[in-house]
Amino acid sequence: MKNIIIKKNENLVLPVIWSGKEKEVNYDIKLTGVNSSLTLLMLLLGKKEDKVKIQVNVDHQVIETKSRIIVKGIVDDSANVDFNGLVRIEKGAKGSNTWLSANLLLLSDSAEGRAVPALEILENDVKAGHATTIGKINDAELFYLMSRGLSKAKATDLIVRGFLNGFLDYEK
Amino acid sequence: MAMKKSSIKNNSYTYGFHKLEKSSFKTPLGINEKIVKAISAYKNESLWMKEFRLRALNIFEKKKMPSFGPDLSKLNFDKLCFYNSPSNNKFRKWSDVPKDILDTYNKIGVPEAERKFLAGVEAQYDSEVIYSNLKNHWEKLGVIFTDMDTAVKEYPELVKEYLGTLVPVDDNKFSALNSAVWSGGSFIYVPKGISVPIPLQAYFRINAKAVGQFERTIIIAEEGSFVHYIEGCSAPIYTNDSLHAAVVEVFVKKGARVRYTSIQNWSGSVYNLVTKRMQIEENGIGEWVDGNLGSKVNMKYPALVLKGKGAHGELLSLAYAGKNQYQDTGGKAIHLAPNTTSILISKSVSRSGGRASYRGLVKIAKGAKGSKSHVRCDALLLDDKSRSDTYPVNDVQEQDVTLGHEASVSKVGEEQLFYLMSRGLNEIQATSLIVNGFIEPIVKELPLEYAVELNRLINLSMEGAIA
Repeated sequence: MKNIIIKKNENLVLPVIWSGKEKEVNYDIKLTGVNSSLTLLMLLLGKKEDKVKIQVNVDHQVIETKSRIIVKGIVDDSANVDFNGLVRIEKGAKGSNTWLSANLLLLSDSAEGRAVPALEILENDVKAGHATTIGKINDAELFYLMSRGLSKAKATDLIVRGFLNGFLDYEK
Repeated sequence: MAMKKSSIKNNSYTYGFHKLEKSSFKTPLGINEKIVKAISAYKNESLWMKEFRLRALNIFEKKKMPSFGPDLSKLNFDKLCFYNSPSNNKFRKWSDVPKDILDTYNKIGVPEAERKFLAGVEAQYDSEVIYSNLKNHWEKLGVIFTDMDTAVKEYPELVKEYLGTLVPVDDNKFSALNSAVWSGGSFIYVPKGISVPIPLQAYFRINAKAVGQFERTIIIAEEGSFVHYIEGCSAPIYTNDSLHAAVVEVFVKKGARVRYTSIQNWSGSVYNLVTKRMQIEENGIGEWVDGNLGSKVNMKYPALVLKGKGAHGELLSLAYAGKNQYQDTGGKAIHLAPNTTSILISKSVSRSGGRASYRGLVKIAKGAKGSKSHVRCDALLLDDKSRSDTYPVNDVQEQDVTLGHEASVSKVGEEQLFYLMSRGLNEIQATSLIVNGFIEPIVKELPLEYAVELNRLINLSMEGAIA
């Protein structure tokens, strides 16, 4: 478990890449100072028999804190990704703002994904949202690209790149 | 704009009145083998049902309390009465219903509702279905709509075939409890190809102090049939904690469609711990419309088991958590077959220190190719004392699927309030309008009389919420 404390006026950008080594990835992050922010960008690349359980806890303890937790996963072969996120906004943490998203792209028939983006909100003067998608490459998109002359592999590659590019416009 | 600070007034419960008890049979407090046997004997049940109850009691005693959600440690089974019947008679007409019971229904508006919308009413007073008025033409069509106790006696083979097959006795502690001491509830059978045009409706009410209510409901919709069942609850105020633990099993056969509408408005002392499950076969459609307004602690997650190819399930869930209330609600969609689709929509409103949690599960099993699920849950927090949680589990074991989940938590926007107030509404009217707008996608699916009552309840509670 990695414990991180973010203090007053601190803006932490935390990139995390998992590519199959660890069995568990755990983060416990506390926003303890006014006007602090967290941007957690997590890239998950699972293949073969890779299996991971991820737990990310983010706690907004004071006013005017902000967090962005963006998780993108490419799950291939028989890999299995289990993402558990929990963002908590404590009572009194007015003006806080959180966005928690997890998108898993399943590239193989035996790939499996699980995502639990949980929120606990004890304060009403906040903005909080979360979103999840789990699925394969959209057939219609694939068909479109192939109808324009791309091979299936090339088209898939392009779509996966597009999926990951979404990382860069996380600001929502 | 200067906003006034909200202050909380203690609202008296809108329908909080209760009549004197007129029980004809009541078990002592607590639950044990003797009590379960006494219930079975009082109901004159055959051996198989008695054995079913005793087996369930055995499982109940071994099962642990749920490991998630609200604290149930204050629930004391030794201080609850598990069976209480107000009358030995069943009534076919309103004019035969005893006056004190009729008064209670009059205040809630059931007879008017019947005149306008309903062709039959099953009313449960305490633990007994006392009123049953079925339209003749349904009987001619072969539709069975009766209380569960009657069904066990008149259609034992049908009941045996389905009872406990979708919600097994050992599913959880409260399904076991219900199986041991169940009483009342509805039994509906719709034959192949029959469409029931008018909703079938049950009205529940508990009145004896600290009485537990344990309805058991089974709905069977044969191939290509359609039925809409409506269940609503409104309970008086007690000082002691009271328990309500129902089990509902709905079987939607090939190409059939069932809609189950449920409005729960128990008083603020009730623990409502309900297991509801719907199994949908090939190309069938199952819908839960679930409104949770009352009770102290509410745990309810209606489930859609999409078992046949092309089955479709929908859940519309509404939770309103006021002072001292914990609404732990949500839903489940379990995709077991190819091309199954589900939509889960949840809206919750928390106010005056209430807590509303969405607890959901979407599971897509291996082989359920081409399945799609969409989950949306929105929460509105009306003050800084309240709390809102979202615990969505999305579990996908099949590649060829589309699963999307989105959620938001927000407060009533000051811009929205300012706009409405600049148009001449006062703060109460403006807030009520915004809250009613927020829950509108679910309310519009309710039968008219429920939608009207719900809007009234929201307006009433706002008057107390804003000084």
